[in-house]
Amino acid sequence: MTAFNATRRRFLVGAGAVGAGALLSGCVTQSPSASGGKSGGPVTLQSNLSSPQAKTAMQAVVAAYAERGGDGARLNTVAAETFRTQLPTYLTSANPPDVYTWYPGSVAESYAKKDLLLDLDDIWEQPELAGYSDALKKLCTSASSGKKVFVPTSYYWWGMFYRKSNFAKWGVQEPRTWDEFLDLCDKLKSKGVAPIGLGAGGDTPWVASAWFDYLDIRVNGATYHRELLAGKHRFDDPEVRKVFDRWDEARPYFDPNGTAIPFQDATTALLQGRTGMMLIGTFFADAAPKDALDDLDFFQFPIIDPKVPVAEEAPTDGYFASARTKRADGVKELLRYLAGAESQELYLKNSSGTALPTHPDAKDAGTPLVLKGRKLIESAEDVTQFFNRDSSDALQPTADTALVHYLAKPKEIGSILTTWQRGAQKIWSQ
Amino acid sequence: MALIGSARRSRATRVPPVVLAFVLVPLLAEAFWVFWPAMQGFYLSLTSWDGLAAPTFVGLGNFSEMLHDAVFRTAAINTVLWLLLFGGLSAVLGLGAALLLQQERRGIGFYRAALFLPVVFSLVATALVWQAMYQPEGLINNVLSAVGLDGWRHAWLADQDTAFYAVIVPALWRQVGYVMVLYLAGLKGIDPVLYEAAKVDGASRLQQFRHITLPQLRSVNAVVLSVIVIDSLRSFDVVWALTRGGPYHSSELLSTYMYSTAFQSLRLGYGSALAVVIFVLAFGVIASYLVRAFREAD
Repeated sequence: MTAFNATRRRFLVGAGAVGAGALLSGCVTQSPSASGGKSGGPVTLQSNLSSPQAKTAMQAVVAAYAERGGDGARLNTVAAETFRTQLPTYLTSANPPDVYTWYPGSVAESYAKKDLLLDLDDIWEQPELAGYSDALKKLCTSASSGKKVFVPTSYYWWGMFYRKSNFAKWGVQEPRTWDEFLDLCDKLKSKGVAPIGLGAGGDTPWVASAWFDYLDIRVNGATYHRELLAGKHRFDDPEVRKVFDRWDEARPYFDPNGTAIPFQDATTALLQGRTGMMLIGTFFADAAPKDALDDLDFFQFPIIDPKVPVAEEAPTDGYFASARTKRADGVKELLRYLAGAESQELYLKNSSGTALPTHPDAKDAGTPLVLKGRKLIESAEDVTQFFNRDSSDALQPTADTALVHYLAKPKEIGSILTTWQRGAQKIWSQ
Repeated sequence: MALIGSARRSRATRVPPVVLAFVLVPLLAEAFWVFWPAMQGFYLSLTSWDGLAAPTFVGLGNFSEMLHDAVFRTAAINTVLWLLLFGGLSAVLGLGAALLLQQERRGIGFYRAALFLPVVFSLVATALVWQAMYQPEGLINNVLSAVGLDGWRHAWLADQDTAFYAVIVPALWRQVGYVMVLYLAGLKGIDPVLYEAAKVDGASRLQQFRHITLPQLRSVNAVVLSVIVIDSLRSFDVVWALTRGGPYHSSELLSTYMYSTAFQSLRLGYGSALAVVIFVLAFGVIASYLVRAFREAD
C-alpha cells in the first residue's frame, strides 16, 4: 500500500513536472525575448514559390549557396495563400524568419513604414547590385525612410498568350489595336473556340485584376492607374466606368467558364486549344509541360488610345528581410548572393526559364519568347506591377469581389463600383 | 474527544493537494491557451487594427458598422440558413438512414460502412473531391449531359444562385453518416418488448415510430442537436475550400467572412468583432437549448 502510494505520488510529481515544463515551453515560445537570441546558424528563407519547378529552382539556389561555405540558408516553402496571410504575423513576431520572397514597391513600403524591414542600403553599394538600373533602385527604396529595403532578383511580363500552332490552324494573326483584337475574337468565336480564357475561379480570382489593370492603363494611363490604387481617385469615377465600357466590348468573347476555373485549369484549356488566348503572366509556364513551351507565344495587350503612353505590367520579384532578424550579417550575405548573376542564372535554368533576371550581366533563357518579352518591357514608356503590388494585399479582395461580380452581372456595374469604393475606403482609412 | 472529532472533520473536508492539482493544472492551461486569447479577441473587437501598427480603440464602432454592412447581413442570413438546412437535413437524413439500416440483414454492415465512410475523410479533402465533381467539365455536368439534361449543366460553384446549395451538399454528405451512427446507437438501446407490445395492440409502423421510437430517442436527439449546432456554426473549411464565400459573397458564412476580413483585408479589429458575434450566437443557441433540456429532465 505504501509502495503504491509512493509510486502514485512519484507519478503525479512527474506528470506535474511534465505539465509545468510544457506550460513553460509554451511561455517561452510566446516570450519576445526568447529563442531568437541565437545569432549564428543558417539564415531562414521563407518562400512562397510552391509550384514544382519554382520550388526545385529555389532548392538548387539554396544548395549552391551552401556549397560556398558558411552557415548557409534553410529554405522553408509555404503555400502562396498561407504565406500571404501569414506575412504580417511573421514580420511582427519576436522571432521571425529572416528573409522572405516578396514584392517591392507599395507592398514593401507598407511594411517599411512600420520599421519592419531590414535596412539594406549597404549591400546596394556592393558590386552585385551596383549595376542595377535606376528604375529598380527607385522601386526598392522606401519612400518614407529613403532607405533601400528590397533586393530584386527577377521580373516577368504579362501578355496575351496563345499557341502558335493553334493560331496557324485557325488562320489568325496577332492583333495590334483594340479593333483588330475584337476582329480576332470574332473570327475565333466563329470557329467554335472560346476566344479569351480567364481562370478567375477557385482560389485565383485575382487573375481578373490583370484585365482591369491593362484596360485602365490603356484607357486612363499608368499614372492615373497608380493614383487610383493609392486612393487618390474613386472607383465610381467616370474614368473607371470607361474601363468597363471597353471591357463590355470584349466580355462576350470570354470563356463562359472563366470565373468557374482557376488559372491553372484555364491554362490547360489554352494549351488544349479550347480557348484561343489568355492574358496571363509568365509564371503560368512553371506548371506547363516543357514540350508546350516551344509552341507558346504572346502579343502585347492591344493599344486602345494611341495618345496614352504605352505601359506594361512587369511585376518584379525578389526578397526583403525582417528588421528583427538576429542574423543581419548572414542575411546580407545571402541577399548579395541572390542579387548576383550566378544565382539568378541558376534559378532560371532550373525553373521554366520564362522570367527575366534583374542583374544586368545575368543571361536569360534566350528563347525567342523571352527575347520578345524583354523587348516588350524595355520598349514600354512606363511599367506597372500588378493590382495588389501597386495598391496593397488588403485591397485585392475588394477587386476580386467587384470584378467577378461584374463578369456575372455586367448590367449592375453602377452599384458594383459604388460597393467597391465603399470597401476600398475601409481599407484606405485604416 | 471533541477535539479529536473536529480534527477528523477538518481532515475530511480538506481537499487533497493531488485533487487540487488535477483541477488547477488543467484550469491554468485552459486559462492560458483558451480564456486569455478569447479575452484578447474580445478586446481586439473594440479596436481598429491592421495587424502591424498598434491597435486603436474604437469602442463599439465595429459592431455599429455591422449594422450597415450588407455582406455581414448576407453572411448572417446564410449562417442561419446553413443551420436550418445543414442541421435539419442531416438530422432527418441521418435518422432515415439509421431506421433503414437498423435491421440486421446480410450485407447491412457494408451499407453502414459506406454511409459512414465520408466521416473518415477530412472536410478539406472532401471539398476537393467535390470541387472536381462540380467543375464545368466535371462528373456532375458530364452525367447530366449523358442522360440528356444538357440544359441543366451549370457552373455550380461560380453561380451565385447555386454556390451556397452546392457547398451544403458535401457538408451534408459527410455529416449524415455521423448522425446515422448516433441514431443507430440510440435505436439499439430501445427495448424490443415495447415494439412487441405495440404490435399486439395493433399499432401501425407509423404509430410505432411516433409513439415509441421518437420518444425513446429523446436523449440521442439532445446529442445530435448539440453536434449539429456546433458543426454548423464552425462550418468553415468546406466553404473556404470550395468557394471562399464567393461568388461575390453569395455563399459567405459568418466564419468565412470573419476569416477574409481579418486575414485577407487585414481588418483584424472588425474580424474579431465578427468572431465575438459568432461566439455569442453559438453560446446563445447551445445554452438556451441546454437550459431547456435540463428543465425538461427535472
